[in-house]
Amino acid sequence: MTTILTQHLSAPGALPVDLRTYFNNRGITGGEELSKGEFNIWFNSFPAEELPEPGKTVEVGAVPFLFPALSADGKDNLRCSGQRITLPPGHYDWLYLLAAAERRSEDVVHLHYADGSVDPEWLRVSDFWAETPAHFGEQASVRCTCLHYPRHVQQNMGPVIWRTRVPVPRETQLAAVHLPDNPAIHLFAISLLNTVTGQAS
Amino acid sequence: MSGPAACVIDDVVSWRHDLVGCLWTSAATVLGFHGAPVLGTLGAAWGFRHLPEDLRREEYYYPCPAGVSLFEAIAPYHPVSSRWHEPADGAEGWAQVRDVVLSGVPVIVAADNFYLPYRPAYQDVHTNHLVVVYGFDEAASTVRVLDAVPPRFNSDITITELTAARSSGNPELHERDMFFTNRPIANRWLEVTIDTAAFPPFSLETVRTTIRRNVDGFAASAPAEGYAGAAGQSDYLNDVARRFADGADICDELFLVAGAVTANTALHADWLALAGRRLEIPRLAEAGRGVERFAHHWTAVRIMAALTRTGEVSAVRLQRRFAALLDDQARVLAQLDDLLTDL
Repeated sequence: MTTILTQHLSAPGALPVDLRTYFNNRGITGGEELSKGEFNIWFNSFPAEELPEPGKTVEVGAVPFLFPALSADGKDNLRCSGQRITLPPGHYDWLYLLAAAERRSEDVVHLHYADGSVDPEWLRVSDFWAETPAHFGEQASVRCTCLHYPRHVQQNMGPVIWRTRVPVPRETQLAAVHLPDNPAIHLFAISLLNTVTGQAS
Repeated sequence: MSGPAACVIDDVVSWRHDLVGCLWTSAATVLGFHGAPVLGTLGAAWGFRHLPEDLRREEYYYPCPAGVSLFEAIAPYHPVSSRWHEPADGAEGWAQVRDVVLSGVPVIVAADNFYLPYRPAYQDVHTNHLVVVYGFDEAASTVRVLDAVPPRFNSDITITELTAARSSGNPELHERDMFFTNRPIANRWLEVTIDTAAFPPFSLETVRTTIRRNVDGFAASAPAEGYAGAAGQSDYLNDVARRFADGADICDELFLVAGAVTANTALHADWLALAGRRLEIPRLAEAGRGVERFAHHWTAVRIMAALTRTGEVSAVRLQRRFAALLDDQARVLAQLDDLLTDL
């Protein structure tokens, strides 16, 4: 069973982003397709049976995300390798992310604004491995009770997808985010939030 | 060996950290059992050393210069040491461990996860792992095992299962038998000596001396053997990047090196944070955060190393990461050096 931890966060201006075209890794498998998992270097994967429905909106800690559906080539998350994600131009205060790391990690993302300005900010993600607490103060998560291995399901290993966030300090239109070249960090979903106006615009 | 016996040693406590492996979890349990401070001991020394001839395919790999034991290597500023025992066979291996446990001392033993029924790798993946044995019941043919690496296990398995894990040839049989295979377990167990009474206090003077030793160690000139210090680290990273660019398989080597450096660095980051809290010197915690950032570089390096074999990571990407890593380390070493003038 999946436990979606929540906190009280008012986010009326949340705009989920469709990341499908950027997916390059298969991190979620059903029980009948264990060998297709490749989330980490040991070919583990998250159990689809315990996760939200692919392609649907799911709230994690009161923030709505578009939970990943398989891309055309069968991928469901992106392993960071310096991708530049184009965003719907708008005024946002936070990037909220559903992310997981192969061992805890942090790295720099570059926020590109519509006026040409660029700022580095930190992306921090705790370890997805079972029995590992949030290191970076993540308050919400999607937590499973088992982990898929290529040849079996391990019932007492509960991996975690963390909800983390990156601040958007400039009060001008954000246009894109340039991810780090750090394959330890995986992203499943991004939502853009404007917490001041309540409008993601 | 006398007749059937049973015992369980008290005060054997599990310890875990998300950036370290079985060497450190096992060492922490044994240190704690002997009344020694875990983080104060394992997190004090910070450095870089790579000895190509010493590289071992073990989850618990840590570089040990000639004549330096594993525990001396991981805790060089404290009176600890260790000695590997290699019994002739499984029977002798169990007899030796049994006797030590019966004397009231928990024992660190090497084991192949393939034969440990509680491990996810059971009957699937071979590897060279460490667990703590701290009890047994010969009438029930069971042994009490503590393994803090998730899924944490602190219960009984059969003596037969443990013996199989300790006697394993640890072969590489398929594509997921990676990094830690092809090195027989050989029933090895670790005798640890800890002189807790002689440990230095966790005082301002100790903190100052420790940081000075670490900073000086990074500044030291190249050793006669292998790579050490900041210059040695730079030389090693340049060398491994060049060999990879030339087509060499550096996957296993760099993965092992990265695991050892990550653990050492992450524990020192926490040690600095601990010192900052204990001594109420916020700049120590800030320096610790800089060291933690450096550990996170090595998290990335470790995964990049593994992905060199699949072609997902190129030499250019690896070199770019190394350059950023070295820049950040130079900054944090300067930060520590500057901090010393105020301590």
